[in-house]
Amino acid sequence: MEITVKKDSGITVVCPNGRIDTSTAKNFEEGIMKLIPDNQQIIISFSDTSYISSAGLRVILVAGKKIASMNGQLALADMSDKIYEVFKMSGFDKILKIYPTFEDAKSSFGK
Amino acid sequence: MLLNVKNDIREIDRVFTCIKEFCSTNGISEKKCFDILMIIDELATNIISYAFDDGQEHTFTVMVEKEKDMVHVRLSDAGIPFDPLNRIEPDTDASLESRKVGGLGIFFAKQLSQFISYERVGNKNQLDILVSLKEEE
Repeated sequence: MEITVKKDSGITVVCPNGRIDTSTAKNFEEGIMKLIPDNQQIIISFSDTSYISSAGLRVILVAGKKIASMNGQLALADMSDKIYEVFKMSGFDKILKIYPTFEDAKSSFGK
Repeated sequence: MLLNVKNDIREIDRVFTCIKEFCSTNGISEKKCFDILMIIDELATNIISYAFDDGQEHTFTVMVEKEKDMVHVRLSDAGIPFDPLNRIEPDTDASLESRKVGGLGIFFAKQLSQFISYERVGNKNQLDILVSLKEEE
């Protein structure tokens, strides 16, 4: 798994590529946690993510809590049906902001 | 199909490749394959992380078989006796602040399977899982 990070209208966009499982979650965690001190408006786009396990959800939960504690905003977007199902099954759809597309996530910022 | 897997997290990659191949050979849809991969990933990761505490290399087995409209998965390890199904389920209604990070893997395996059981057979932990191949609407 690789993580691409880019900026779009002042928002930090994180794209994890491939599988987020136990063997790659640590890499994902380091990648996202080191961004947070300087970037508190983050969109994670799952358009290139093929799979996420509980290890990946754990990282998103930890990041979500950290961003919330700094009064930042985290939005998730571009999930495949299966990945969305994983978030729904875990109840994370109730505690995190999930949008169908990147544009939807982007327009939610500042509101 | 029977896989011998070492207690090394890097093995998960090979497990994914083999299970994907099994699914494609047996005409299992990508969606169902995702469920099977997730169940095996979560349970195998648990074995790799917790079953052996002596720091030595061990091997456990992952068996996958297609039976009519079901897939039977069996994981068998000679690690310390541990019933993963006996854990408290995560509170999926908790708020972001109070939500705990653990326990989700087993919960997913339970949610995605039709049947799941644990048995200590001799010196082995044995998990049997049945996944229905019927597509829900």
